[in-house]
Amino acid sequence: MKKRLVAILVLLFLVGGVSMLFAGGKQEATSASGYPPEMEKWLKEAKLGPYEEHPQNWKEIIEKAKQEGEVVVYSSSSRVAKVAEMFEKTYPGIKVKYFDLGSVQSVEKTVQEQNAGLYKADIVTTGGSGQVIHQLLDNHMIVNFVPDTVADRIPKKYKDPLLVRINEAIVFYYNTEAYSKPPIKNLWELTMPEWKGRVVTKDPFKSLSVLMGFITIVQHSDEMAAAYKRLTGKDLELHPGVPDAGYEFVYRLLHNDLIILKSGGKVAAASGKRGQKNPPISMIYFTYLRYNESKNYANGVIHPLDPVEKLVYPTYTAIARQAPHPNAAKLYTAFEMGSPKLTKDTKLEPPYAEGRAGELLQGLAPYFDPGSASPRVDVPKPKGGEIWDELKGWDVDPDFMWYNAPQFQDFWTKEATK
Amino acid sequence: MADTPLARSAAFTKLKFQLTRLRYRTDIILSIIFVIVFGFLVLVPLIKIIIVSLTYQSFDMRVIRDMKKLGTFTLYHYKRIFASDFSYAILVKPFINSLLVGFGVTAMAMLLGSLLAWAIVRTDLPWKNFFDSIIVIPYMMPSWVIALAWLIIFKNNRVAGEDGMLKILFGITPPDWFSYGLFPIIICLGLHYYSYSYLLISGALKTVNSELEEAGAIAGLKKWAVLRKITFPIVLPALGSSFVLTFTRSMGTFGTPALLGLPVRFFNIPTQIYASISMRNMGDAYVLALILVVLAGIAIYINSKIVGVRKSFVTMAGKGFKNRMNSLGSWRYPVAIIILLFLFVAFLLPLLLLVWNTFLLLPGDYSISNLTTHFWIGDSDYRIASGEPGIFKNPGIWNGVWNSIRLGVLAALINGFLGLFIGYAVVRNRGTRLSKSLEAISFAPYVFPSIAMGAIYLGMFAKPLGPIPALYGTFSLLVLIVVVKNIPFSSRSGISAMLQIDKSLEESARLQGLPWFKRFRKILFPLTKSGFLSGMILTFITAMRELSLIILLVTPTTRVLTTIIFAYEDQEEVQHANGVTLILITIIIIANFIVRKFFGNKSLMGLKES
Repeated sequence: MKKRLVAILVLLFLVGGVSMLFAGGKQEATSASGYPPEMEKWLKEAKLGPYEEHPQNWKEIIEKAKQEGEVVVYSSSSRVAKVAEMFEKTYPGIKVKYFDLGSVQSVEKTVQEQNAGLYKADIVTTGGSGQVIHQLLDNHMIVNFVPDTVADRIPKKYKDPLLVRINEAIVFYYNTEAYSKPPIKNLWELTMPEWKGRVVTKDPFKSLSVLMGFITIVQHSDEMAAAYKRLTGKDLELHPGVPDAGYEFVYRLLHNDLIILKSGGKVAAASGKRGQKNPPISMIYFTYLRYNESKNYANGVIHPLDPVEKLVYPTYTAIARQAPHPNAAKLYTAFEMGSPKLTKDTKLEPPYAEGRAGELLQGLAPYFDPGSASPRVDVPKPKGGEIWDELKGWDVDPDFMWYNAPQFQDFWTKEATK
Repeated sequence: MADTPLARSAAFTKLKFQLTRLRYRTDIILSIIFVIVFGFLVLVPLIKIIIVSLTYQSFDMRVIRDMKKLGTFTLYHYKRIFASDFSYAILVKPFINSLLVGFGVTAMAMLLGSLLAWAIVRTDLPWKNFFDSIIVIPYMMPSWVIALAWLIIFKNNRVAGEDGMLKILFGITPPDWFSYGLFPIIICLGLHYYSYSYLLISGALKTVNSELEEAGAIAGLKKWAVLRKITFPIVLPALGSSFVLTFTRSMGTFGTPALLGLPVRFFNIPTQIYASISMRNMGDAYVLALILVVLAGIAIYINSKIVGVRKSFVTMAGKGFKNRMNSLGSWRYPVAIIILLFLFVAFLLPLLLLVWNTFLLLPGDYSISNLTTHFWIGDSDYRIASGEPGIFKNPGIWNGVWNSIRLGVLAALINGFLGLFIGYAVVRNRGTRLSKSLEAISFAPYVFPSIAMGAIYLGMFAKPLGPIPALYGTFSLLVLIVVVKNIPFSSRSGISAMLQIDKSLEESARLQGLPWFKRFRKILFPLTKSGFLSGMILTFITAMRELSLIILLVTPTTRVLTTIIFAYEDQEEVQHANGVTLILITIIIIANFIVRKFFGNKSLMGLKES
């Protein structure tokens, strides 16, 4: 009796559980414009997407933003804390609730919440191009909003399909204390015996940015092959099973005992620590150049370097679907992009987040370092920032990234293990 | 039976009778509720893992590019992992490495643990109480603390940056195999897990009446034969438990292998699961997770075959119990000093190194002029540590302290009571299938690798599930997963506590007409209090140092100390990472001390039943 009762209960529960597992995943109904009806209603009210006003009515936006009184930001960058502090000072009465999540989690949290029918975020600002475009934008989880106060000063590729808040890059560092000039001139030198076990990078599966760096190299396979010929005078020979010159570079790098570390900070330390006899070359975030000051490192960007010196990836900013505070979100977006009063010739003195510099740079101030670049063409460069324009760069391609990351992951795992 | 009205009414009467009877059988009601709830919390994730591993996931669509296939049945992931040119890298090599770590750590931990247990319980060693209380401290530290210390000392040129202390102080450069990879992973994990073996084996040894051994000796057995024929069989269950515990845990551990293995590309199954999960490749990740689940199951099965029914006998203390010590003779003090040295190396040295390193302005520079208190009490300075204020002035860290304590205390309370109720339900029904299923299902969370369990709960509770609202991002989800993961341990201690109470005590109270709740409060609870407390402190410790289980579920507002440490480590804010680690360990040790002080010297006894 008892046993049967238990058996029935367990069975019932199992059936229920399993059916729950298979439930969901149903397609949402969409209106003629391609948006789900709920979202369409919100877009109309918030004057976003197809219902955006031209020109944007900033007086009204500011007024409504103050009524909303709050803006919720999901950010991939820890420096969001400083942006939030500055925003609250500029617009007293509007509180910034920010979440410093990193790129993987910023996307993940947005997806998980919206799948659950929760619309809590106002702003999603993160890197991870493939994910942001294909997972968030294509599925209407975010909406593009470009403040018209600065729109005409941003090149098309940085505002369409999605506004870029800041561009950053992966670069190659050498130790300026141990070497008076960059020890290599061609990327392929890193695969030669001299640099065996002396190239350091972060595990690409722990950083979408490093992953993008590698995949962008793979994408420019022809340039890589040409650079090899320029270095050795010979045509590149591929190892069996390696599809092209880009992958061949990754193959040779891994088989040249590439050192993989779990954190970017450790990578920057590896090449940058002072007092080293035989320091390695590192491949890591350009913005970590700022550790030269804060941690007394001796990192220098390798330049010139054939065929590429920086691998550029954007950090986007967008308004989240059905954001509860859409006007505060618009105002915050404008703040992130910096004041329209900035011009190419504006002279700015550090500390950039304070005084007049802070008033002009606004949300750009915490990112005003040589390793980051605003998409705006009219923003002056920070001290030492000229180098950004001097470096030859390749931009990450979100489509290529999205569709080739799985293959790259398999290749990497395979070759890293042998 | 014919379907006559009479038969039906008879069946109805019978059912009614059974239901009425059930009213007085709180144990059965409890069992049924537990089986259903735990079944839900354990089986649903398991089924979900299996389903995900057998269907196309959105990640796969990026390769296959045929959206119609999304969610349909496939053996794609199994083929990739078991039978493709990718298998060696994703499965075979990591699997071998996992086994090597598992066996290596288990051998080292059990050897250390049993030697120490024997020396402390069965010999006339001096300073025993001191050893006994201090020897379990490595259990209270997160296992990767020793790995951090290892790197501070033995770091070599391979990862560049600053040198290790050995190089700085003595000019010795350790070889790669010594600094990174299998060898240090086994040493560091062994130094953590030996405390499990020690607790289990010393617990068993304490119950061995030395008269049994003497009887053997009188009967003419040689010393070795006494050990083999009498002592060994009695401690065998404890040895078995510590084998299962150490083996499954060290095979599934993530932190230390990630820290020490990556620089020489030493991957094991957990690091591959983590990599797959962070790429959102859930299909691959879950196939690998299932392999760990199966392995843990096999280990438990083999253990139960060799040792027999888990904990099938209790050697009650109290009656003519004699524990004659083996004499170490002139070795008494040398052995004690060796143990002291060992303890120094195993935990005092790592802690001291962490303390020292928090006072260094630039890591790796041990000169006096480089000392600073900035990382403890300094104000935010944008030139140091990216402007992070000192630990005591850092609201983020204080928030983490509060969250960690909250998580530890809540989980401990819930697990403590759950353990007792489960124990009650299992023991009162002992022998029935219901009791057996409850016992089995409460042991089930044990086989889940933490990292995989976190990933499953993330997906499972992201949406409202039946009456449960979406829990993603809430503190409750952290409490829930920690409670579930600890049920195997708290139910073990609950069962053993309840086993010691005779049924007649409760029955007589029932005859007096006391309702169940009163019986529980007046009789059962007071008698099992010490088991309850030990289960609680155990959960508190595990919850406080938990990382891989919750790392995927924590959001900025619910950050706990371990995830804060992980983040600081990632940003190479070494001093902050070390300082917060020290705070975490201090809280655990203080809590343990308070419990010992006020509730008797039993704080870690619960482990002996796990």
